[in-house]
Amino acid sequence: MSDRRRTGGLPQLPMHLLLIVVTIYTIYPALWVVTIAFSGQQGLALATLPENPTLGDRVRAILPWPEHLSWANFHDVWTEQPFGRWVLNSAVVAAATTVVGVFLACTAAYAFSRFRFPGRRTGLMSFLVSQMFPGTLMLIPLYIIVVKWLGLGSSRIGLVLVYATTSIPFCVWMLKGYFDTIPKELEESALMDGASPATIFLRIILPLAKPAVAVTALFSFMTGWNEFILAATFMDKETMYTAPVGLRFFVGGFSQQWGYFAAGSIIVTVPVVVLFLFLQKYLVSGLTAGAVKG
Amino acid sequence: MTFRRIATGLIAALLVGGGLLWLLVGLGAAAENQSREQREAVVTLRAATEMVGQAGASRSQAAAIAFAAGRPELRVLRVVNLEERSLEVSTAPEDTGERAAPRKLQRDEKALFDEAQRLRTAVATNREGSGPPSQEIAIEEANHETLALAGPLERDGKVVGMVRLDLARSRSGGVPWPPLLPLGLALGLGIGAGLALRRWPAAQLVVAGVALVGALAWASWEGQRDLALRAQQSGAAVAARATVEAGRATAALGTAGAPATVTPAAWDTDLFRRPWPSVAAPAGAGLDRLALGAGVLALALLLWWGLGGAARFWQTLRRHRVAYAYTLPAMLGMLLLVFFPFFYGLALSFTNANIYNSNKPISEIWIGLQNFKEILGDFSFIQRTAGGVVFNYASFYWTLLFNIVWTISNVAYGVGLGLILALILNTKGLALRPVYRVLLILPWAMPNYITALIWKGMFHRQFGVINQIIQMAGGTPLSWFDKPFTSFLTVFATNGWLSFPFMMVVSLGALQSIPGDLYEAARVDGATRWQQFRSITLPSLRPALVPAIILSVIWTFNQFNIIYLVSEGEPSGSTEILITGAYKLAFQQYRYGYAAAYSTVIFLILFAYGTWQNHVTKATEGL
Repeated sequence: MSDRRRTGGLPQLPMHLLLIVVTIYTIYPALWVVTIAFSGQQGLALATLPENPTLGDRVRAILPWPEHLSWANFHDVWTEQPFGRWVLNSAVVAAATTVVGVFLACTAAYAFSRFRFPGRRTGLMSFLVSQMFPGTLMLIPLYIIVVKWLGLGSSRIGLVLVYATTSIPFCVWMLKGYFDTIPKELEESALMDGASPATIFLRIILPLAKPAVAVTALFSFMTGWNEFILAATFMDKETMYTAPVGLRFFVGGFSQQWGYFAAGSIIVTVPVVVLFLFLQKYLVSGLTAGAVKG
Repeated sequence: MTFRRIATGLIAALLVGGGLLWLLVGLGAAAENQSREQREAVVTLRAATEMVGQAGASRSQAAAIAFAAGRPELRVLRVVNLEERSLEVSTAPEDTGERAAPRKLQRDEKALFDEAQRLRTAVATNREGSGPPSQEIAIEEANHETLALAGPLERDGKVVGMVRLDLARSRSGGVPWPPLLPLGLALGLGIGAGLALRRWPAAQLVVAGVALVGALAWASWEGQRDLALRAQQSGAAVAARATVEAGRATAALGTAGAPATVTPAAWDTDLFRRPWPSVAAPAGAGLDRLALGAGVLALALLLWWGLGGAARFWQTLRRHRVAYAYTLPAMLGMLLLVFFPFFYGLALSFTNANIYNSNKPISEIWIGLQNFKEILGDFSFIQRTAGGVVFNYASFYWTLLFNIVWTISNVAYGVGLGLILALILNTKGLALRPVYRVLLILPWAMPNYITALIWKGMFHRQFGVINQIIQMAGGTPLSWFDKPFTSFLTVFATNGWLSFPFMMVVSLGALQSIPGDLYEAARVDGATRWQQFRSITLPSLRPALVPAIILSVIWTFNQFNIIYLVSEGEPSGSTEILITGAYKLAFQQYRYGYAAAYSTVIFLILFAYGTWQNHVTKATEGL
């Protein structure tokens, strides 16, 4: 009876049942990959089935718990495979993308937020329209330009340039939304005191916008860290693969090294998942704010 | 004042137009010089190859030495025999005495063997037509003075080895002169006439325009003549080279004691060993249209400048220089790597660009609307046959239909499940709420390519855990990727899994911002739960949910990774969405132009959708 009053009249038990079912559904694939990573084997099966499996064996085969716990996959993927090199490539690309992308987005967003100039509306709208170009649509011309003309295939610089520029529109819209909320009076008083626009930008706006800048940086970093298809198209040389391309290499085509894939996935995923869980509420507000009010 | 404006405008237009023309002619000339050098080198390689082939394994070394004698430009000639794993021929100075050819290949020469095998594979692939065409002749700048060439050696129609040649580079041709004479004359004429017509600015502008057009037409005519002459010279030079090499090869074969005739006519080929077009497209063919473009551009510049546009433009720039300085870096990046590629892609969609001709200027491979006709004109995606209805999965309309079904089903699933979970999680006093929340967000936090590969593994026919579950429940395992419907289920399951948390978080945020008093008041007024939901909850969700759905539609419509990595379009392209289809056209069939047209159609669809939703929601109001 007391339960009912607290929940406003709905019984809690069915809700918990539903939530538990959905939660199992969401975490099962994650547990599956953890199991394979710690199994010490390359196979896909969670357990080896005997010739005539009983129901018990069948149940065992779907339980996400390894038959033998082993660190071997983690150890081997790092030492016997060039995975460390791929992670390094990804880290360098993602970090450089972040630096370049945030710089470009902050300056542009500041101008779009604070100045009224001819071309402002066109610029903002063109950024918005460019978000409608699907990545693959740009892929063919970008491939010809970056790889065939500039000769930046299998080069980290090429990827950084492409990632940083393609993330500009989103970052600009998001930062502009935040800059708009910073009261103009602050700048006006600084202007009275004789501060230049550069001083205002660096000393007043940027420090106030730290949370938004942090989210933008995170977004840029995740773009570089998680992007698959451009990297797969641009990077031919195995030593220049990024982590996503390398992980796909383990299980793509006829290759079936699921143990390496699982261990590598965990190494790549854990940091971004943790970061994401900490920062997701900013991401949501940014996404919807950008889309709603413009 | 007007005179100065028109004069500076004329100078700018002449510089831009003339400069562009010079650049175009220069690029054409450089390409011609390069292709001439390559053709000459290939002729020598083919001559050596044919000679070695005719001489047979036993006499080839002698023939090669005679062939290379007294020719400093032919630095090294080597032949690798794949059957014997031997170095059949070598004229390298270090390969004498102990190391003299023919001999077994040594460990440090593995690279040679590998290269020979690669060429053999290339020839085999091209003959079977399986896979993308690959070059059968490798050519590279070994260093600044030497070109290294390698081609397959065939005996009795079978690739048995490789001929490798180091040739001294012959630079010929040079760079064309800038069209100084026409430009100078036009400038003089324009200024002279301008001074004479001081009182009539309109006449000044007309004279300047005429002078500009005349000068550019003259310059482009000169440029075309230059290019045609170069092409002619190349043809002659290559033919002469073939005659000389034929003589040398015959003589060398005689010296080696294996007299035979050679076929110099077949030597002039490209790197795929296809004959060089005997009636080559005149080198200046594409120049016409490009020159016209440059001319129109220059004329527009002159008009704009002469009518005062430039002055106003500078004024605006100066007035808002701080703002422009701040936007410049981002704008520059966007222009170079977003907008330019976009328009370049649009241009490509009117060409038949492919792996052979992607270096050619667009005007030479222009085919107009043919790609679009081919894509949009194929309505035969449903056919009635005796056995029932058959779908043509390669048709654009099938893919579009699938793409739409895919988007609607996924977004509906995401919104439905997300909303239900949000409503439950929003219940006051629900135990363990933070734990559920974190666990339920997990799919969104995982990189989607990893999600895709995990689900791909779980749907594995034999060891996949989904089939294990089916078997546990007493069913028979399924080959998920063999039927379009089950294949769709795999991608749907994967994408459904990763897309609902976003909707859940958005709805939850909106739900939490609804003030509790509203419900309180409704209850006092005697509203039922359903009425409260209809008139309070749903309207309050709308502002957050609508943009989220719009975003989600675009994301799902373009959800490349899931389709590409999970179903891979199997079976036979039936579960392809538009962008994975375009990707495969470009990077598996190498039809860049066709794929670009496909992408353009996708963009138009998205653009229409974007315009419509913008109209409906007024999302960009109040910019």
